[in-house]
Amino acid sequence: MTGPATDLTPQAVAELRHDLRTPVNHIVGYAEMLLEDSTDPAYATCRAALQETLGAARDVLALINATLAPTRATVDRRELDMLYDSLRQPQHRIQQAIGGLLAAAQTPPGATAVDDLRKILAAADRLVPAPAPPASLASRAASAQPAAPSGAAAAARILVVDDQEDNREVLRRRLEREGYVVDCAEHGRAALARMAERPADLVLLDVMMPEVDGYAVLQELKSAPATRDVPVIMISALDDMPSIVRCIERGAEDFLPKPFDPILLRARISASLEKKRLRDQEKRYLEEVQRVIAAASAVEAGTYRAGTLAEVGGREDALGRLARVFDAMATQVKAREDRLRDQVRELRREIDAARTRSAEFSVPLDAGTLGAGQRFGERYEILAVVGEGGMGTVYRVKDLELGEEVAIKTLRPEFVSNATLLERFKSEIRLARRITHRNVVRTHDFGDWRGVYYLSMEFVEGLTVRQLIDMRGRLTVPSALAIGTQLAASLAVAHEQGVIHRDIKPQNLLLDAQGVLKVMDFGVARLAERPSSLTEAGLIVGTPAYMAPEQLLGEEIDGRADLYSAGLVLYECLAGRLPFEATTATALIAKVLTEAPPPLSDLNPDVPGPLSSLVGRLLRKQAQERVQTAAELAQLLERME
Amino acid sequence: MPRILLVEDNEMNRDMLSRRLERKGFEVAVAVDGRQGVDMALAGGYDLILMDMSLPEMDGWEATRALRARPQTQRVPIVALTAHAMAGDREKALEAGCDDYDTKPIELPRLLEKIDLLLKRSS
Repeated sequence: MTGPATDLTPQAVAELRHDLRTPVNHIVGYAEMLLEDSTDPAYATCRAALQETLGAARDVLALINATLAPTRATVDRRELDMLYDSLRQPQHRIQQAIGGLLAAAQTPPGATAVDDLRKILAAADRLVPAPAPPASLASRAASAQPAAPSGAAAAARILVVDDQEDNREVLRRRLEREGYVVDCAEHGRAALARMAERPADLVLLDVMMPEVDGYAVLQELKSAPATRDVPVIMISALDDMPSIVRCIERGAEDFLPKPFDPILLRARISASLEKKRLRDQEKRYLEEVQRVIAAASAVEAGTYRAGTLAEVGGREDALGRLARVFDAMATQVKAREDRLRDQVRELRREIDAARTRSAEFSVPLDAGTLGAGQRFGERYEILAVVGEGGMGTVYRVKDLELGEEVAIKTLRPEFVSNATLLERFKSEIRLARRITHRNVVRTHDFGDWRGVYYLSMEFVEGLTVRQLIDMRGRLTVPSALAIGTQLAASLAVAHEQGVIHRDIKPQNLLLDAQGVLKVMDFGVARLAERPSSLTEAGLIVGTPAYMAPEQLLGEEIDGRADLYSAGLVLYECLAGRLPFEATTATALIAKVLTEAPPPLSDLNPDVPGPLSSLVGRLLRKQAQERVQTAAELAQLLERME
Repeated sequence: MPRILLVEDNEMNRDMLSRRLERKGFEVAVAVDGRQGVDMALAGGYDLILMDMSLPEMDGWEATRALRARPQTQRVPIVALTAHAMAGDREKALEAGCDDYDTKPIELPRLLEKIDLLLKRSS
């Protein structure tokens, strides 16, 4: 090899490119082939690992191309070391992904799959010879120069700028003996030209020079972004303190008095280089912190791509760990969002199918209620009756003050005759009004008009889960999960605000055309309660079919009663029927209190085991045996596939 | 079924690329160095040759020149493959008589497009 100390010749660069691209070719080829074989959904894990491998291989190629571009004739040793360092991270990703498949014996189909996975691993191993630096590299980089000073990864390049030839030569010889690579410039202009061409790691700069002097060179170097951070040590006679001070004020790192003292020379240069190394490290660290921050913004904007932080994640310090954890979390969140989106899409499909038949379900205006076009109080004009329930009638009305459509729910007089109950109801509604969540129907006002108590709330165009189940028989697993996840999310927010729904049932769950679930009537069920026990006849309003055992027994209840009801909703969505059915309320209550529900998967073989047992857990008679919080339920459902 | 001769010294490249091409409906024969590649090509029966450029015995450029010099292989399309990706590689390959050029890592759809085009052109 005839190249300079630390450079590779064009031929060596080409060979190295060949040596690095060949394993990439193997990795990509085998991974793509295995991916073609893994189209069956049963091989989803394999696909994910192979795609990760292909992504990492693309990163490897980009890194190789960046350092070893075909247009580059020579590459220095430091760049190569950096390349090898940067390749370790994608190499590790490939080893993890493929090694993981082999370790878990989760391999794609085909007799050669295991062999092919091993070939990918073997190719990945060849990307970065371990441990660094590679022997082949050592043979390629000629080493005619003495070793670099201890502590430095590669010989630093120093530019000596002095108009005195003797000074230049003395410095060159001394520095080369220390193991540095030395370049000389005989005047300021030449120094600037060299630095523009290829910045040195450090500059030794004489102050007094004809034409462009040391000050001017220093100023120029410190104002150009490419050379701003290169340390400059001024060379000056000791008696010229004012000059030295001036230079240091302008950004010089240090000064060296003439005549040169070898010990001082060595100390100042190595200290300056060490400071630069630390500064560079700090700068890199800050840049990487910036990248983590940018990634956080990308997550917020929904544009984060998995693996964006791969390079930062390759660090071994706390920032690397943060980046790895962050990347893993963001990737998981994205996967979860994708899953939920697919589920909601499936739900929308079912809603659309059901809506084509929804005409059958419109509620006719009956003579006993208000008719379309009539006023309700000063503020509202009736547009239509949208529902008739145990507690009253629901109207779609126009809010004449705001020009918006809202829903009005009137309450039958028997529910609002007791002053104590009414107060309790009002305070519950005050609480419910605070719940703001996309899965909760907003409650606006509570009032009375001509003795009729009513609630005004957000109007949601859509159909209830009741209607959907009735029309579809039962729902698919993704649709049921979309309902369950959104229901759990709404309950989590409500429970946190201290509001228990008390009457979760398919009739109270609205679905808009986008598949967004809206829970109605938070707090309303308070009205149906009586401070007495179940043994008194006629106290249970409507059907007790969705009530938790403790609620049926008139015991004090908490959020876990809502979770029981949510379990029943899920059960009904997936089975098309409730677990307990009876012809009389008493018989039904007896079953709820004593019988175990038939496992969901017995009624619907499509329901995966984990989902069936989760629903089973929600339906435990004892509240303490259920999933304990709605937030936990939301998490469990989000993870279901 | 088009018959392709793959001249490639690296065993893994040979295994991988021949299997991938077979999956796409080609019949693939392999040669492990330039000399064997030339011998096999001269024996005839191939619709296209994929030629690695850095080969032992006789390199890809030399093999291509040899094939171009013989009447029976003068018109068989040859695609050069290289992982060197040096500036000027492409020109060098075309100059030696290759019809097209591709770099490793192989992007299969891109290579297939080139193969299809050359097969159409030569038929």
